[in-house]
Amino acid sequence: MAGCGRDDTQAYRVGKETAQAPTQMMGQPGTMASDPSSPADAMPQLKWKLPAGWQEVPAGQMRVASFRFAGKDGKLADVSVIPLPGLAGSDLDNVNRWRGQVGLDQVSEDQLPKLAQAIEVAGQKAQIYDQAGQGPGASDKTRILAALTRRDGVAWFFKMTGDDALVAEQKPAFVEFLKSVSFSPATAPPQLPPSHPPIDGGTAQNGLMHLPPSHPAIGGAEMIPPTGAGAAPVGPAKPQWQVPADWKEASAGQFLVAKYMIGDSAQTAINVSRSVGDGGGVAPNVNRWRSQLGLTPLGDAELAQQCKPIEVQGGKGTLVDITGTDAASKGKTRLIGVIVTQSGETWFYKLMGDEQIVGQQSDAFAKFVKSAKY
Amino acid sequence: MPIDSILDRLIGFFTSLRLTVVCLLLGMVLVFLGTMAQEPMGLYLAQEKFFQSFFVPAAPMWAAIKKALQMVHIFLTPSSATDVLFGSNFPVFPGGYLVGGVLLINLLASHYKRLSFTRAKAGIWMVHFGVILLLAGQFLTDRLARETNLHLKEGEAKNYSESEREAELAVIDTTDPGSDAVVAIPQRTLESQKEIRRADLPFRVRVKDFYRNSTVEERVAGSVAPPAATQDIGTRATVLEQPRVTEMDRRDVPSAVIELLTSQGSLGTWLVSEFIEQPQSFTLNGRNYELELRLRRYYNPFSIQLLEFKHDVYPGTDIPKNFSSRVRLTRSDTGENREVLIYMNSPLRYGGQTFYQSGFDPDNHGTILQVVHNPSWLTPYFSCVLVGLGLVVQFSKHLLGFAFKRPAKKGEAARTAALAAR
Repeated sequence: MAGCGRDDTQAYRVGKETAQAPTQMMGQPGTMASDPSSPADAMPQLKWKLPAGWQEVPAGQMRVASFRFAGKDGKLADVSVIPLPGLAGSDLDNVNRWRGQVGLDQVSEDQLPKLAQAIEVAGQKAQIYDQAGQGPGASDKTRILAALTRRDGVAWFFKMTGDDALVAEQKPAFVEFLKSVSFSPATAPPQLPPSHPPIDGGTAQNGLMHLPPSHPAIGGAEMIPPTGAGAAPVGPAKPQWQVPADWKEASAGQFLVAKYMIGDSAQTAINVSRSVGDGGGVAPNVNRWRSQLGLTPLGDAELAQQCKPIEVQGGKGTLVDITGTDAASKGKTRLIGVIVTQSGETWFYKLMGDEQIVGQQSDAFAKFVKSAKY
Repeated sequence: MPIDSILDRLIGFFTSLRLTVVCLLLGMVLVFLGTMAQEPMGLYLAQEKFFQSFFVPAAPMWAAIKKALQMVHIFLTPSSATDVLFGSNFPVFPGGYLVGGVLLINLLASHYKRLSFTRAKAGIWMVHFGVILLLAGQFLTDRLARETNLHLKEGEAKNYSESEREAELAVIDTTDPGSDAVVAIPQRTLESQKEIRRADLPFRVRVKDFYRNSTVEERVAGSVAPPAATQDIGTRATVLEQPRVTEMDRRDVPSAVIELLTSQGSLGTWLVSEFIEQPQSFTLNGRNYELELRLRRYYNPFSIQLLEFKHDVYPGTDIPKNFSSRVRLTRSDTGENREVLIYMNSPLRYGGQTFYQSGFDPDNHGTILQVVHNPSWLTPYFSCVLVGLGLVVQFSKHLLGFAFKRPAKKGEAARTAALAAR
């Protein structure tokens, strides 16, 4: 009787799920719908007055708006606006998560009001939380300014993250920006035709329950995940570049800015990704690439011999060319990778696949990398 | 001691009325403390530790006692869920399975030994069987019942419902154009087994780390922390373990780092998490696979489409009057295609499942139906009817017997009065 099949692995066939979730990547399980009528579709439209010096960048993924501000010394501040349906955790949960990101101790419910500063977002009272510190593994002090307002069952996170001094300097501009924000009415969520076949709903979008207390069936409809609200994954913005004619653009997938396939070969592809800051540094990333080809990690001195500088727009990048065995295909595989760090961001270009094809494409790849304007 | 004597003692123990009373008392204490424990531990953990166990460990018992002491104004530092999960596992009190099980054996054994079936005892038989059915039915409900959610937007149709709290790792072979082959590994298997081998998968799944509650975030710039995995999103994300949550309105969000292994070696490691909402894909031997950690799904041979959700309020107020979901039920193998209105206290019962109106989306364009699958849902009804009838039979017999004897007693009283008057 124990278990009664509850713990059994099951195998079955199901019809293809005809509607795929849009590019909603790292969300809020339990509060975010991954069905086609994504929260963003049903969200009010946002308007704002752009502060001087701020640059609007493509929003991408969970964000409905994204901005960047560059300081004099090339340091960057990133501003995100993320709506999350549901309550998206308590203020305390969110503040403690932000504090954790900048290496500060957790605070209790009693201490929270002392940290909150009253401000106005779109004519509505809200709180802004300002925390600065050195995050785990970070080399510089980081400051997070975050405001949270709740409207019509949606929690709106406005967050500015970046270099401590730069964010502190931009705080008045951020507060002004929050004041200037206005919401226009929501667009109707797209509706499927009545004859539409079953589609994937993914994790449940959990509405707030307002059933009378006597109602019998109360399920997990009010589930709100513990933390993670406003985790702010960075939306990829594609630079301007020249793509060789024989490369075919493919679905970039999660965390990639772009993906190109070469000819009909499914094995050889170019991946481009971006990370804020140094992306973990050159050495760990090169060693990560090496591990993909079954090669052992190298020390700094050996890596320095393997890496070559490459001229790119506005500076220099690091090029690495390695050959090994791909763990998945078991075939001889070559990887040419370029890491470019510019304006506080790091770009990763990777050409990987069949040794011969990669060899033929190496010049085109280098040309492509050099053509990118950031 | 001879075996017969031991057997007699054993039978004597299990058939004693004293045991029945002790079990009922223990049951009362258990229900009281289990209820107290729900406040510090949350409903699900309290259920697991007090009622779905043979023994209650020390840590949850202490949490319950501390809560109970508050009723007499003795305030000790309350235990948290973490204290309970990582506290002492030493068994200190019989749990629900033990008390219920012994009571069931006690009832059956004493019934077998003491009660022979006669018409005079028919009522007692019915009452006893009613109670036995109730106990057995509750055990079956505990083991077999399943509560899931069906969340639908207007116009959307689904042929599956999802667990409220349990996840599964879905390994989906998407190569065939017509359909997907899914191997769904439940969370409990991921938690308990280090390596999962399946004949229908060309690789083994090794669970390197499993986090029952976690957060996944993009790797912080300049982080020295290693990436969570070597493939796909895991290369650009970090996973952090979080304390378990016990509140009713929140839940754990699991993540896992898994490694896929073939006879030729490792294919790499992947981070799978409920935080990652799109499947991660890869190709092996010309076949395309997707990996996804998602809420556990239960497929149905029929589909339900939400046509309209209505949230009625009393005129001039925001006070809810009614919530209803107009749905279309379609089933290809029987040709069924009909509309059903599900509203409060009027669920849809179909295919061994009951669909209750449970919640809705903030925009009033989506509904959440609670789907209850309980093969033994009728047993409490049968039990109550049986116990009720048994009591009626038993008391009626006494009442009727009393009523028929009464005239004789009347005559006797009259004679006594006459004698006294002489």
